Amino acid sequence: MSYKRFYVILFLASGLFCLLPLVLDLYRLHVVIVSLFYVMMAASWNLIAGYTGQVSFAHAAFAGIGAYTSGILTVKAGMTSWLGVATGTLTAGVTGLGVGFLCLRMGGIYLSLTTLGFSEILRIIITNEYDITRGTMGLQIPPMIAPYSKAVHFFILLAGTLLTLIVVYKIIHSNMGLNFRAVQNDERAARSLGVNVIRVRVLAFAVSSALAGLAGAIYGHYLMLITPEIPSLDLQFFVLSMAVIGGLGSFAGPIIGSFALTILSEYIRAYGEYHVLVFGLVALAMARFAPQGIMGLARQFMPASGVRQ
Amino acid sequence: MLPMALMNGLVMGVIYALAALGVSLVVGIMNVINFAHGEFYILAGYFSYLFADTLGLNPILSMSLAVGMVFLFGIVIEYTIIRPTYGNHMYSLILTFILSIVLQNAYLLIFGPYPKKPPGWVKGATNIFGDFCYGNQRLAALAAGTVLIVAVFLLIKKTWFGRMIRAASQDREMAELNGVNTALLNTFSFGLGCALAAAAGVVLAPVFPVTPTSGVPVALTAFVVVVLGGMGSMWGCVIGGLILGLVENLGAAFISTGYKHLFGFIILIVVLAVKPSGLFGSRET
Repeated sequence: MSYKRFYVILFLASGLFCLLPLVLDLYRLHVVIVSLFYVMMAASWNLIAGYTGQVSFAHAAFAGIGAYTSGILTVKAGMTSWLGVATGTLTAGVTGLGVGFLCLRMGGIYLSLTTLGFSEILRIIITNEYDITRGTMGLQIPPMIAPYSKAVHFFILLAGTLLTLIVVYKIIHSNMGLNFRAVQNDERAARSLGVNVIRVRVLAFAVSSALAGLAGAIYGHYLMLITPEIPSLDLQFFVLSMAVIGGLGSFAGPIIGSFALTILSEYIRAYGEYHVLVFGLVALAMARFAPQGIMGLARQFMPASGVRQ
Repeated sequence: MLPMALMNGLVMGVIYALAALGVSLVVGIMNVINFAHGEFYILAGYFSYLFADTLGLNPILSMSLAVGMVFLFGIVIEYTIIRPTYGNHMYSLILTFILSIVLQNAYLLIFGPYPKKPPGWVKGATNIFGDFCYGNQRLAALAAGTVLIVAVFLLIKKTWFGRMIRAASQDREMAELNGVNTALLNTFSFGLGCALAAAAGVVLAPVFPVTPTSGVPVALTAFVVVVLGGMGSMWGCVIGGLILGLVENLGAAFISTGYKHLFGFIILIVVLAVKPSGLFGSRET
């Protein structure tokens, strides 16, 4: 897909999305907003997992860092929400840089273990520092724009999603993206050709963490209540299964996965709280039998339709 | 307070060591981290509860049955889910992570959210050094854990099967050339790793009742122990397990109970920053 075609499709799609607040009721609009949040999360997680082959379990934790930084600054220091979101994004990015430096030298399993540990540390701190975060009760924070309206927040999240998708697209189609894929395919060969493997991974990790921070911060202001549910392993699991079901390492995969699973979970909700179990089973079956996800299946069964990597 | 915390640390340390040995065995041979380790631990707790409490079997028999069933379950999981991921780190990480969430939610559906506790083996408490009274059940858990760890060491260091395991974890291809069926060995060691988690589970369940998610902190601590001790090192697991158990309980006693599990992760981060290969690790992977 050329740059031009990508932007045409992206802006046509977002133009169509702009009409949604006119036709959807508030509940359906909420579902779309949640889907957009998951698109931001899954697309940025895909940047590290799908394109550099590093499985991070701290993506939800970085969203939590963004949400709590922004929330605490607006509530306790009286900052505006916009500045709060910017600070939250930056904090998540800088923390990501730190975690990346710490464990990316070791690669593979160590990264997964450290990020898992990091996300537990964060959850424990947030639950225990009741005076600042109000623990599991959740912290009430102001919306992005003062008279609260779902439609306005829908547009803000849509803008965030566009920004995330453009950043991810730019990165994977730049020289750095080429480096990512080289590192994923064969680390040793890439290193021998002069790719600075560690720098590539740390950079990818920091960018992806910052994007998660942005997603978490905006989503927190939309919900107006942030709880330790945002930096939880459950949310991490949702993001992971959306990316895996949609197709890791493909640009459209996480987008499709996010919308499909968010809408699916709303339907399952009618029959009780089974949606986590159902997601898990679907994700397990997909990861086992179709590791390339929905996009992989589309490539396999419709080779002529032009669905590409 | 100090001797009490030391005693608690020792009991937890032995359990962590046992759980970590299971993780370490699977990492050493298959190079797979089983993120569902804690869920196998919990499953054994539930099984032993079912057999002993609901069916009224004798505790020892129900514990052995529980460990045996988790062993078989582990073999089924290896055969159906883990086997196709050999050589691909990423997919084994993702698959076992998804598996752990699936199992947690399945337990929630089947056993409910309330803690389940199999009956204790012994009653009462013993006065230790005339200092404080300590539950006999915990002392029995300490003894059982120690016996199991010694048994694992004997199995790995002294038997023919152990020799195959050590050969395969040192050099897979060479072991294959010498006639080791490594595919079968993988399946069997994965089952054994799960059985070790299960053993830790049945030993600890009468002390700390099981809930669908109570395996998570134990598994996370076991991973920290494996990194601290050095991937694939058995002595590392034992020493690391004891260190973790003591640090957590001393920290809980003297600093803050809410932050009990934080100390382990701080150790993890310090180890990764200072000596990523761990205390006894030789390989860097």
